[in-house]
Amino acid sequence: MKFRAKIVDAACLNHFTRVSNMIAKLAKTCTLRISPDKLNFILSDKLASGGVSMWCELEQENFFSEFQMEGISAANNEIYLELTSENLSRALKTAQNARALKIKLTNKHYPCLTVSIELLSVSSSSRIVTHDIPVKVIPRRLWKDLQEPTVPDSDVSIYLPVLKTMKSVVEKMKNISNHLIIEANLNGELNLKIETELVCVTTHFKDLGNPPLASENASQARNPEQMAEVHIDIRKLLQFLAGQQANPTKAVCNIVNNKIVHFDLLHEDVSLQYFIPALS
Amino acid sequence: MNDNDTISNLNCKLGMKSILPIFKCLNSLERNVESCKIFTRSDKCKVVIQFFCRHGIKRTHNVCFQESQPLQVIFEKSTCSNTLMIQPRVLAEAIVLFTSSQEEVTLAVTPFNVCIKSSNEESMDLTSSVHSEMFVGPDEFDFFQIGVDTEITFCFKELKGMLIFSEATHAPISIHFDFPGKPMALSIDDMLLEANFILATLADEPSRASSPQSLCLSQKRKRSDLIRSNSKAGKNVTSKALEHISRKAAPKRLCPNETLTDISALENCGSPPLKRVSGDVGEVPASSVRRAEEVLASPCLRKFSCMFFGAVSSDQHFSHPFDSLATASDSEEDVNYGSFSTF
Repeated sequence: MKFRAKIVDAACLNHFTRVSNMIAKLAKTCTLRISPDKLNFILSDKLASGGVSMWCELEQENFFSEFQMEGISAANNEIYLELTSENLSRALKTAQNARALKIKLTNKHYPCLTVSIELLSVSSSSRIVTHDIPVKVIPRRLWKDLQEPTVPDSDVSIYLPVLKTMKSVVEKMKNISNHLIIEANLNGELNLKIETELVCVTTHFKDLGNPPLASENASQARNPEQMAEVHIDIRKLLQFLAGQQANPTKAVCNIVNNKIVHFDLLHEDVSLQYFIPALS
Repeated sequence: MNDNDTISNLNCKLGMKSILPIFKCLNSLERNVESCKIFTRSDKCKVVIQFFCRHGIKRTHNVCFQESQPLQVIFEKSTCSNTLMIQPRVLAEAIVLFTSSQEEVTLAVTPFNVCIKSSNEESMDLTSSVHSEMFVGPDEFDFFQIGVDTEITFCFKELKGMLIFSEATHAPISIHFDFPGKPMALSIDDMLLEANFILATLADEPSRASSPQSLCLSQKRKRSDLIRSNSKAGKNVTSKALEHISRKAAPKRLCPNETLTDISALENCGSPPLKRVSGDVGEVPASSVRRAEEVLASPCLRKFSCMFFGAVSSDQHFSHPFDSLATASDSEEDVNYGSFSTF
């Protein structure tokens, strides 16, 4: 197994750092999947994550000037590594004014992702910073749990409002209740509701717009005013929203009634899918 | 100053919680205070700080002090074979590499470069922590003199604390060190003050020997007051003698009393015998209590450091050669020893 990649462009480096920061906010431990064209940050829907799952994908050639990898075998040309997300984001944070950044898979007593940064410094000699991030290589037999999740057939698909606004609303709601109802319809309306014995609070977002539906039949059958809803744990939604630093290029929310809510975001060229299951 | 107009020194301690609030609000101090007078009233065991403010307002703070018998440490910066001087900013950029949970860092030097890296104890779970290192070239230092290639490991927290302190002065930081086990010094020499932090460093390998102990005793020039009956503290030999305020970094983290003497021997010894305690580093092996050969390794090193202040005043006076610098333990036995210079 081999992996080495290099970033020399400052903008690419900043973008990669932002992605890594976002992942660190969304998942404490995640899987990094390295394949010839892509990098994926994966969180699978185990009990440990509370049923939440995440799939983040980026095209390697948008970031790296050099990229070489050799997977476990020719037939399975992929590498799956488990790492603590914060370790990577912290290492990248020190690469603010780097001339070049190299990442490679190494084995120094135990497998590591070595991040090697060449920093610009005032004097002629450049400073070299190295971080050895310990990783666990995930064996082939566990790969089936880490595949791209299938996008469910949603009852309603709607564009999200400005995430910052949504986040501040959800933050305040969290003080009242942990149980949030998210509902939307095909008329561009999205509601966030919390209900307790003493109080019910609903925030209405209107005129959001709905993405074009995949099949014509579905759109005709469904009443545009009818809401599809999911009851979720508010903290999971808040964690998702807190991870989004900038407003995404595209943000779609898909709701399967009483089952799952699926967020599909595009940050420039990085796609992020986040699944929050309904409370049982 | 006492009645006969001779200058005597007061060695005392003041609580940080008492002093800090007095000088807390720098902006309002600068705006309102015209002058400040600090003097002691030994009859009431108080230090009096008076602010003469605008509009004829006079603010007086009375802070109680405690007499203290400091530890004595022999450390000559000029005899160290390695000296580096660097701007605090560069060190600060190295500090960000490490997490706040990092206990110790290692400084590795060769004539060609300097490397600061995270240091992990054997007992730690290596597979969970990130190992970071940064190489800095000689031309980034204001002064670079390496006599011997070496790697020293010391407490990260102390370095951070000292760095925060140095940011206020903008003066370069000098690092003086030799080989592992021998103490190292971080110093700042500004126009207004000189500060020296003496840190213990981890020794390379455990060695049980009685010879280092006897070596220490023979190196000392003068015996002085005993802090503990089974060890002796050396005399301070610095010639630059000024008003000294001394403090210990973290009294709460003080090693068990029995090992205090071992620490002073440690500081004075060339390479003190240290035993790496694997497993729970907080435990003190019962057998190490009274014998200098079995001094605790990491816990003591992390807990012990001294800081010396020298404030430059216009009428410099050379203090009594028996002046001591470091603070001692809070134990009651201190009261029996030594001569206090009181007002």
